Amino acid sequence: MTAFIIRRALQAVVVLFLTALIVFLGVYAIGDPLEILLPGDATEAERAQVAASLGLDQPLPVQFIGFLTDILSGDFGRSFVYNRPTIDVIFERFPATLELVVTALVLSLLIGIPLGLWAGMKPRSAVDETIMTGSILGFSLPNFWQGMMLIMIFSVWLGWLPSTGRGDTATVLSIRTSFATWDGFTHLILPAINLALAQIALVIRLTRTGVQETTPLDFVRFARARGLTERRILLVHVMKNILIPIVTVLGIEFGSLIAFAVVTETIFAWPGIGKLIIDSINALDRPVIVTYILFIVTMFIVINLLVDILYSLIDPRIRVRQP
Amino acid sequence: MRIRKIVTVGAILASTAMPAFAADLTIGRATEPSSIDPQFSRTGNNQMTAELIFGRLVEFGPNLELSPGLATSWEALDDTTWQINLREGVTFHDGSPLTADDVMFSLERTDEVPNSPAPFSDMVSNIAAMDKVDDLTFKITTRTPAPRLIEDIGRVFIVSKTAAEGATSEDFNSGQVTIGTGPYVFESWTPGETLQIQAYDGYWGEKPDFADVDVRFISNDAARVAALLSGEVDLIDAVPPTDVPRLSETEGIRVISAASGRVVYLGLSMRFDEAPEVTDLDGNPLGDNPFRDARVRKAVSHMIDRALLVDRILGGSGVPAGQLVPNVLGGHAQGLEPDPYDPEKAKQLLAEAGYPDGFGITVYSSNNRLPGDADVGQALGQMLARGGLQVNGIRTLPYNIYAKAASAGDYSVFVFSLGSSTPSSAPNLMGLIHSHDKATGKGPFNRVRYANAHFDAALEAAMQEFDTEKRNELLADATRLAFAETPIVPLYWQKVHWAMKDEIAYDGGLSEATVAQNVTKVE
Repeated sequence: MTAFIIRRALQAVVVLFLTALIVFLGVYAIGDPLEILLPGDATEAERAQVAASLGLDQPLPVQFIGFLTDILSGDFGRSFVYNRPTIDVIFERFPATLELVVTALVLSLLIGIPLGLWAGMKPRSAVDETIMTGSILGFSLPNFWQGMMLIMIFSVWLGWLPSTGRGDTATVLSIRTSFATWDGFTHLILPAINLALAQIALVIRLTRTGVQETTPLDFVRFARARGLTERRILLVHVMKNILIPIVTVLGIEFGSLIAFAVVTETIFAWPGIGKLIIDSINALDRPVIVTYILFIVTMFIVINLLVDILYSLIDPRIRVRQP
Repeated sequence: MRIRKIVTVGAILASTAMPAFAADLTIGRATEPSSIDPQFSRTGNNQMTAELIFGRLVEFGPNLELSPGLATSWEALDDTTWQINLREGVTFHDGSPLTADDVMFSLERTDEVPNSPAPFSDMVSNIAAMDKVDDLTFKITTRTPAPRLIEDIGRVFIVSKTAAEGATSEDFNSGQVTIGTGPYVFESWTPGETLQIQAYDGYWGEKPDFADVDVRFISNDAARVAALLSGEVDLIDAVPPTDVPRLSETEGIRVISAASGRVVYLGLSMRFDEAPEVTDLDGNPLGDNPFRDARVRKAVSHMIDRALLVDRILGGSGVPAGQLVPNVLGGHAQGLEPDPYDPEKAKQLLAEAGYPDGFGITVYSSNNRLPGDADVGQALGQMLARGGLQVNGIRTLPYNIYAKAASAGDYSVFVFSLGSSTPSSAPNLMGLIHSHDKATGKGPFNRVRYANAHFDAALEAAMQEFDTEKRNELLADATRLAFAETPIVPLYWQKVHWAMKDEIAYDGGLSEATVAQNVTKVE
């Protein structure tokens, strides 16, 4: 296990270096941050002053090497736009995204697994057909449109739920969260549902397929023969076997949701990092873009590692197989 | 039973949809500041934020007209010396009085803010020395005669010397040193989310109608409109032109529109001997740059039906333009009208210039910078094709890619814009039309590289004139001189829209700013 983790760590360093290089070159190729940062009536003198203070007057290799050396000493640079350490800018917004994504994932498990089990136990029944058709909608309706519809129905027509921002937040264990106040919680509902809809559909389908593949197997028949209740067979024995694909997919989805919750965050003006990265790309705020992508890549590496470790916890066979 | 439960839950949700601590006024703004430090950046989004909290030597009205602010008067003692008299009885939010020391400190600090992405340094670059006369009077010596000095230093926000000495931009963001003389006191700022402010009881000017204000940052157009419709915010800015008709018809919603000082123009590049992507009718490079002939530029201008462009493409959100600044700004040349749509004249001019059958061009436009900019590019392509040119392609690109390429001269025919932030046309003429000279910093965004020595001389003479009225007259004359040759093809001045609940009104204007002090209650 230790050798496995060390090997993964070494691979991670190579991946991170290549990512930094590609993103750095990519942003450089897109355009000139000065064109965006400076107001329309800036003079040449101001332009030169800004270029010098942001280090943009240096040749690209010098900029890149400077950036790498700074990273090694733990400094990820300062945002061109905000003139604050990029780490601060990103982590200030990260809890908002995390809160949204965790809520969406919990929702997708709470709603998706029971519905999937139900549909899987009664294949081709009216229940199954209804749930599966519903999940097709969850998949295929564009996220953006769903969001607008949610706002249209629940905020504009019914006036039940707020549609923008995080509302009142309170600080719990030095983390600012919307869970702590009722107002904050109501602000969370619509964006979380918007983000969860596609995930619910995904979990339903994974669970249903898993149930259908598992129920004809011998151990289920033996369990029935032993006189176990259907409920116990389904929730304990079948569940254990179908969790592996669900954990794998949700692990990856967790990463993607954090990295790409941008559509939901934009529609609901949710101050998370998805919105930050789009703003930063539009403003060519290179330090933020590079730091953000390095952070996301690191997160994916860690999630994949955790998923691999989780496998061995869920499935004893994998534990035995490992050297 | 179940139905009753649903109703109850609905009622609970409905009763809590409003924020627990409701502000008197909630504004939904499209852009957010990058810092609360008023001297960090002079982009529009930062300035309209600073305006809430900080005062300036002069006030700029909705149409950028000057009126006395923290300075009550300013007089030129000689060509290079100005005396500035400050208003008596002005206090900072911490109660301390405003003195000449604060103002001089603020002017000195402007070019010392580290890593500023858009410094105010040009506003104070002409200051050679400052001398305090007494607590409310000081003198400025300039390097060169500077008739427009107050327009420049008047844009600098005044901070408190005691609070801000040695402070960083981050100290302003946290509110530690965020002490100004403006109508509102800073409460808190959460980046990407809200800015909370409260009216200052000791404000020297007219007290704003709303005391407790939340500014929410909602960048997505549809989300901002939805927030207004659902009642979460009371006023939104940057209403997308396509939503204006619908919102105007919605009961309980008022839309206020104003022509902005932002001119959208078509650049025809004279920069290179051989214009990039300009071809003969077979698609081969044309050789000589046709846009160096003023007749060709005039012909292109006559091919464009500006009224049609504004009405059909922008839904009326524009005013056809024939020069850089609209008539409310100083230096607007009376009688200089937009070139009329006249395909016959265009054909005739092209033939005179030696291109009776036209030539091939590629039209470029950004697609996320201005409302409808991609559509404008498409429409222009069609108009130019109908007018007798061969349009080989119309390309629209995101602004972050587009801006660099346009400034580097990669495009021969391109749509660009320029906003106005001063009461006169001088800075815009200097930036856009004055011949490009990197060494002296003149014509910095003269991307088409128009050059006319007569115009340069006329403009520079105008800028030396101390008498405002005379100066504006000279600026107008210089403008007529240049636009006789169509240096750029002005298209339209953009219109901007605010939408709000019926019970409030907004005094919006050319500066495009959205500030709480201009929101008023309606009886």
